[in-house]
Amino acid sequence: MTRIALLAAAALMISVPAVAQAGPVPTGSVAGDNADTAALTLTFDVGATTGRIMVALFDSAEAYGGGGAPVGQTVVDVASGQRTAAFAGLKPGAYAARIFHDVDGDGQMDTNPFGMPTEPYAFTNNARGNMGPASWERANVVVSGTTVQTISLR
Amino acid sequence: MTPSRRHFLMGAAALSAAVATPEMVRAAIAQDVALDWSLASADLEADIAPRAMRLIHGRAPAGLEGTLFRNGPGKFRRPGGSATHWFDGDGLMRSFDIRDGQVTLAARFADTPKRRHETALDAVVTPGFGTVGDSRARLGSSDDGNAANTAVMVAGDKIWALWEGGSPTQMDAATLATEQFVTLRQDLRGMPFQAHPRHAPDGTIWNIGTNGDQMIVWHMAVDGSLIEASVVALPRASYMHDFTATDRHLVIVLQPWVFDHGGMPFSSQFAWKPELGTQVLVLDKSDLTQTRLYELPTFSFFHLGDGWAEADGTIRFDVAAGKDVAFAIDGAKVIVQGRGSTPGEPAQLAMVTLRPDGRAEMARTGITAEFPKGDPRRAGLKRDLTVHVAGERGARPLPTGLAVQDWSTGRSRTFEFGDNQVVEEMVFVPKAGTTAERDAWLVGPSINLKTGVTELHVFDVARVEDGPVASWAADVALPAGFHGAWRG
Repeated sequence: MTRIALLAAAALMISVPAVAQAGPVPTGSVAGDNADTAALTLTFDVGATTGRIMVALFDSAEAYGGGGAPVGQTVVDVASGQRTAAFAGLKPGAYAARIFHDVDGDGQMDTNPFGMPTEPYAFTNNARGNMGPASWERANVVVSGTTVQTISLR
Repeated sequence: MTPSRRHFLMGAAALSAAVATPEMVRAAIAQDVALDWSLASADLEADIAPRAMRLIHGRAPAGLEGTLFRNGPGKFRRPGGSATHWFDGDGLMRSFDIRDGQVTLAARFADTPKRRHETALDAVVTPGFGTVGDSRARLGSSDDGNAANTAVMVAGDKIWALWEGGSPTQMDAATLATEQFVTLRQDLRGMPFQAHPRHAPDGTIWNIGTNGDQMIVWHMAVDGSLIEASVVALPRASYMHDFTATDRHLVIVLQPWVFDHGGMPFSSQFAWKPELGTQVLVLDKSDLTQTRLYELPTFSFFHLGDGWAEADGTIRFDVAAGKDVAFAIDGAKVIVQGRGSTPGEPAQLAMVTLRPDGRAEMARTGITAEFPKGDPRRAGLKRDLTVHVAGERGARPLPTGLAVQDWSTGRSRTFEFGDNQVVEEMVFVPKAGTTAERDAWLVGPSINLKTGVTELHVFDVARVEDGPVASWAADVALPAGFHGAWRG
């Protein structure tokens, strides 16, 4: 109904409680065996220096679209100076992350009265959606060796 | 050769045996060429560095010092896809700076995410008011589609480029450099801020933004800082481009162009339902829950004049009233095509009266009018004069003249430039040290289609019919803009 269809905040949401339970460690925990050699490091360019960044990493379009669990998730404590999320031990392949900056640290992705997100969010590749979250096609990044991206959260 | 000219020449040839002289043919061709008004929506490919305009008529009025900022779409077409609707071109901020009798013109595109993305693709891909866009659009928020192309507000030492679907775009008033989207309060980030803020007699500024049948009411200090914001419910999900206000009330005109279904472009969401009539919702500024709803016969509109309330509670405001939404849907596409006729009828000036007993009436003048403006010293207070552009007709889209309506006498005074000029909105600039409504200048540009350049004109409100007291010519044509604001 607005100029663009409402971005459902829920559709962008990362499971905050699940992320929170993963603990405050800035390094993503990823299940995998020692043969996996790839790593993805995301560095965040933030517009606010408070709160924390929630990151959920997915390894398939289906999971990324809400049909499965993330292969890794982490919380970046912006308030204490952290700006990086590192996912090590990944199987080489395609991944995409949903990211949002919980600037006020309330565990919610805040929205304005018309339902639009007011806290910065992003996807890998700094992809933007087209009236919704960025698609897997736009957001997925092929990870091999150590892949590094800088993600804007402004 | 355009089909219209070929058509004329064939007709002329058929007639020529009996009546057509070479002089007549030349005159008719000249007229046909004059009817080429496509400069109004021509693309500007780059910013315009500050340059002097040349005085071509009259003399600069003593004491007229300040800057006219104007906004409007400046680029529509790209190789990989184009904006097809007048409201969807890239915002181009212009400044006409008048100092010591000299005029300096500059223009700069708003550096928006939309323009950056479309520049990189060399294609217009973003859906807009009337432009469909395509799958390459990047729309993660309303402001990703913000064209910053409609109007301008002076906010302290900054200017804001306004676009009704999203945030104001802050620019440096001296360089016109884009700085950032304005967030008036963090929890209101991205809320729509319409293109026609209203100044109140107490020095504060009111504005609205809508989303279906919800409306945010913005109340700001003169520097643009937020005093208060509230969300209120509307009786219908009507499309509106403007609202008005008295010193005590917000006046929301709800035309029967109402939300019907989702989708893009934005204007496709609305259905014209003339059987519903036009409603007017009046809210008390001091308590937005205190409302009153009035019913009027059906009209469409883009622009309202400032309103006022009288001692007995009667509210009046003027409107450039249309019969339907033909221009909004199709006419604005003809403007981008740069040729042809606009469908429907141009808007006409009317006065709406809302009575304390709940009756409402509308008095139509029959005068073609758009962009109604009043004396800023009287914003929200009783006034007699409305200045507006005039002369538009379907076969010659966009205004050709300027008029002042005196509501106390019913008299209209007009200056008609003729079909060789596309006349843009004129703003009311009070003369220093005066108080009367007629003691003011009107300042605004036109596009001279014959010489192919933008001109700036100053009129005296008291003698509009005499034509400009001063005119300057640029060495470049800027496409027609929408709305301006004066900073003295």
